[in-house]
Amino acid sequence: MFFHIVLERNMQLHPRHFGRDLREKLVSKLMKDVEGTCSGRHGFIVAITGIESVGKGLIREGTGFVTFPVKYQCVVFRPFKGEILEAVVTMVNKMGFFAEAGPVQIFVSNHLIPDDMEFQSGDIPNYTTSDGSVKIQKDNEVRLKIIGTRVDATEIFCIGTIKDDFLGVISDPSATT
Amino acid sequence: MPRRRDEDEYDMDPEEDEDDEAFDDGDEDEDGEYDGGKAAKKRRRSDFIDDVAEEDDEEEDEDDDDEDYGGGRGKRPKTKGRSGSQFFDLEAQVDTDEEEEEEEGEDDFIVDGGADLPDEEDSRRMHRRPLLHREDDQEEDIEALERRLHERYGKREVEYDEEATEVEQQALLPSVRDPKLWMVKCAIGREREVAVCLMQKSIDKGSELQIRSVIALDHLKNYIYIEADKEAHVREAVKGMRNIYAAKIMLVPIKEMTDVLSVESKAVDLSRDTWVRMKTGTYKGDLAKVVDVDNVRQKVTVKLVPRIDLQALANKLEGREIQKKKAFTPPPRFMNIEEAREMHIRVERRRDPNTGDYFENIGGMMFKDGFLYKTVAMKSISTLNIQPTFDELEKFRQPTENGDGDMASLSTLFANRKKGHFMKGDRVIVVKGDLKNLKGTVEKVEEDSVHIKPHEEGLMETLEVSDKNLCKYFEPGNHVKVVAGATEGATGMVVSVEGHVVNIVSDTTKELLRVFADNVVESSEVTTGITRIGDYELHDLVQLDDMSFGVIIRVESEAFQVLKGVPEKPEVALVRLREIKFKIDRKINAQDRRGNKLAVKDIVKILEGPCRGKQGPIEHIYRGILFVYDRHHLEHAGFICAKSESCMLVGGSHANGNRNGRPFLPKPSNLRTPTRTPSPMRSPRGGPPMHHGGRFKGGRGHDNLVGRSIKIRQGPHKGCKGRVKEVKGNTLRVELEAQFRVVTVNRDQVTDDVTVSTPYRGHSRFGPGAETPIHPSRTPLHPYMTPMRDSGATPIHDGMRTPMRDRAWNPYTPMSPPRDDWEDGNPGSWGASPQYRPGSPPSRTYEAPTPGYAEAGTPRDGNPAYVNAPSPYLPSTPGGQQPPMTPSSAYLPGTPGGQPMTPGVGLDMMSPVVGGDNEGPWFLPDILVKVGRNGDDGVNGVIREVLPDGSCRVALLEGSGGNGEIITVLPTEIVPVQPKKQERLKILGGAHRGATGKLIGIDVDDGIVKLDITLDVQILDLKILAKLPAEG
Repeated sequence: MFFHIVLERNMQLHPRHFGRDLREKLVSKLMKDVEGTCSGRHGFIVAITGIESVGKGLIREGTGFVTFPVKYQCVVFRPFKGEILEAVVTMVNKMGFFAEAGPVQIFVSNHLIPDDMEFQSGDIPNYTTSDGSVKIQKDNEVRLKIIGTRVDATEIFCIGTIKDDFLGVISDPSATT
Repeated sequence: MPRRRDEDEYDMDPEEDEDDEAFDDGDEDEDGEYDGGKAAKKRRRSDFIDDVAEEDDEEEDEDDDDEDYGGGRGKRPKTKGRSGSQFFDLEAQVDTDEEEEEEEGEDDFIVDGGADLPDEEDSRRMHRRPLLHREDDQEEDIEALERRLHERYGKREVEYDEEATEVEQQALLPSVRDPKLWMVKCAIGREREVAVCLMQKSIDKGSELQIRSVIALDHLKNYIYIEADKEAHVREAVKGMRNIYAAKIMLVPIKEMTDVLSVESKAVDLSRDTWVRMKTGTYKGDLAKVVDVDNVRQKVTVKLVPRIDLQALANKLEGREIQKKKAFTPPPRFMNIEEAREMHIRVERRRDPNTGDYFENIGGMMFKDGFLYKTVAMKSISTLNIQPTFDELEKFRQPTENGDGDMASLSTLFANRKKGHFMKGDRVIVVKGDLKNLKGTVEKVEEDSVHIKPHEEGLMETLEVSDKNLCKYFEPGNHVKVVAGATEGATGMVVSVEGHVVNIVSDTTKELLRVFADNVVESSEVTTGITRIGDYELHDLVQLDDMSFGVIIRVESEAFQVLKGVPEKPEVALVRLREIKFKIDRKINAQDRRGNKLAVKDIVKILEGPCRGKQGPIEHIYRGILFVYDRHHLEHAGFICAKSESCMLVGGSHANGNRNGRPFLPKPSNLRTPTRTPSPMRSPRGGPPMHHGGRFKGGRGHDNLVGRSIKIRQGPHKGCKGRVKEVKGNTLRVELEAQFRVVTVNRDQVTDDVTVSTPYRGHSRFGPGAETPIHPSRTPLHPYMTPMRDSGATPIHDGMRTPMRDRAWNPYTPMSPPRDDWEDGNPGSWGASPQYRPGSPPSRTYEAPTPGYAEAGTPRDGNPAYVNAPSPYLPSTPGGQQPPMTPSSAYLPGTPGGQPMTPGVGLDMMSPVVGGDNEGPWFLPDILVKVGRNGDDGVNGVIREVLPDGSCRVALLEGSGGNGEIITVLPTEIVPVQPKKQERLKILGGAHRGATGKLIGIDVDDGIVKLDITLDVQILDLKILAKLPAEG
């Protein structure tokens, strides 16, 4: 789920950046530092949409670095248990398949794939229903439900299932082209 | 025949006797039953033994439905009967163990120390007796027996059940009024004999003998126990007997009396579907599943995966000569009846009278669904601490049994639970009883009951459930840790729960683990299981003893999986601890394809090789090999091994943004770009040797220390400088400069030769190891350039270097290998005169005015490398514009890199200021230029020809104010026209100099160019791109 929230961060700025563009520098550094990171609490910070405030800088003794408390608005993405997501299949193997929804990697174990879908090895490993009508392979888009998340400092890993109503392949680029 | 039979029996009886053991203390108060019961039992036992021993009698026993399979099995000997060596066959064959087991199993009723055991003769007679019965009307007989047994022992069991309470148990304990136990010494090994003799005596003398009972314990040598009221009675009884030493009669204290007769055997409640392991014989250690328990006879029927050598079996059944006892045990394999039939093994199909199931009977062994059903004594199976592995369980998981396999493992596992298995807060599910499938949370744990709070709505109060009926419960998505079993310590997320088995996706390996729910606890921790052995930990970079190196990608119980440092293809080796020499833990840097310095944790993208396109942070750098961790890479724990040259830095901690100015880049970065752009092409494989007269060997790919100048820091040669000749593991062979000899020093005792870092070194840092040729080539360029911009060039140069310094901030710069790389090549060629270079630019300044100087100057330096050096440079000298082009490339075959370095270009781009002055060399025919003579606004023209002196013949274009005339202009007067998007262009510098292409995009200062010839897309500095006139 996406959220637009306000976060705060203490930015350390090297003295060489002091000057007219200090604020810009600060912002661009903030973006560089923060966008794409992941925190267990808030999830992935997708984009910074604005700066709420930049507090007063505090010079660090010894280093000359200045610390600014910056409040910024950002869009964060955090997967939740039970959430339905659409994701792109990135890898298929006999244990199941991996899919990505943006920065989040989701593993769908073969236990969580409908029983009528069988793993087919070969050039393009895939899961196919017995009648061959549905096929899960790399680059397919699937709709899945998250049943578990593991949050590390730097990534969120999810376990998903497609063994439920209305879940499964939603588009197959290989079929259309 | 009879003779042989006797042998058999002899052979068995002693064993039985030895096995005699007081089994049941309960027997004490059932003296009255002894006789009948004993006899009956005795018979039954003999029944059995006879089965084994008496082959010929059983021929006609086809329909013998003795409910014990063992009996059936025993028939096998009948066919081999004539071979004469049957006995040994027995030993050699599968069933060997069975005999032993069965024998062992017989002892249950000998409680009384064989009080009723007659002498050998007797016992033999008795053995034979049941046989006759069997021949006649066994069924009946057995039923009768069974009945009688039930009458006696069934009752007994009931009694036991009743007296379950402790108080009643206490009441049974011996008191002072009861007869006492006396311990009497006897000859070692004669305990039983003595006991039997006493029994005989008591039979003979009747009530004269005042002792109550005699006990010989198997585990107690040298003594027997005699139960009597008075010591005098004992003395009386033993008087005149051999082997007994009445001198020593000791009273057993009342408290210890129970111990004498208590059997250590734990009362195991074996029930159907329990997992057990065989203790002896061919199947020793094999997992078996109990299918039937006969508590009366202390026998269980188990289901096993047969280990049968069909061929041998066939041979035996056909009575063929069989080779001597084989040492190996056949591997477990399901019995294929068809196969057996093909081998002409007689297979009968029979119905088991008890269960009504059909079994295939082969030579007395019962098979069903490929499993062997075997009846063994309870003693020959172990029931404690059975931890079936999944492999084993899988075998038993036949299509016929769905789901109940889990239950089976459940019951066993429950028995093996440790104390404190459940903890408050655990989620549990009831698996047995009325409340089956009720889920709840543990509230309180008592001895063997658990209070759970049901999750069910409407059930508010806690319930007390026996812990045997509970099982931990997990839901998909739970994060758990394995606390027992093979994968102990691993963590992961539950993906599915199949009854008692939980499937987990491991956090680190992303593999599927199957574990018992009992072995799992909920946890938020993330681990891999064991992560280290000895000094080596998961993801360490280690040196192996075959001089290769790699990253530990997995720690197994006794070995590591190491992804070797071979960039071509991932190679994983399984190494043991001792095969690892040491951990490589050094701060080493490398350079990527563009010459960016790479440090650990930098994020790189892999441009070549099997893992092309992957990207991730560098975990280790060693010998120019990077180990990159890509979390999307699922093999090798996400590690990818790649050459540093086939990677590109994509920002990260050291973001030096050589491309498209990153916000925080100091200006000069742009200037630096060209230096870098060329670098990929520079690394001329053949180059270095050529330039350095082959003295430079190996280069970086080999070992970046070889050939490098170092200084010895420690040891006897402290302070000496030298050149590394060879690297062997942790030691270096160093050729000392001062003394002409080679010494061996430890790697950590040397420092890289610290010479003053000259500007050149600064540069060199940006090139990959082999870039040395640049140096020579670049130096000459100075002379050339300096004349015009004498003062200007140097400062610019400096300016240009600053950013690099900037980068080089990181702590290891002074020692940083990249710089050493350059020294790799350096010492050989320049070696003798390190001071030479710093000095050179100034000296060159004076030589510069004409391009020719470069060449002229070089020989003077007397540096062989130098002679070569000018070559790449030649083309750029205004004097030798076009023609030299070819030679130069001929000179450095396959190293177009030489050219980008060509001074003019390089420097121009570094310093636009300078560029204005001498861009001559860059120009190529056909490009569109702006002719800005006399400060004109500029007229567009197309270069028709570049003259040797650097000036160009330019055809002015009519459209832009020109008149089509051809004029000759100095290079300073013209500026190439930068192409715009989608316009055709020609590349003036770099590896692709001369190539044409199309600009497909602009990225700040870089243009994205699609080359015409190769259709490759390149990112090049806009400054080296020149627009081509529109066609037509």
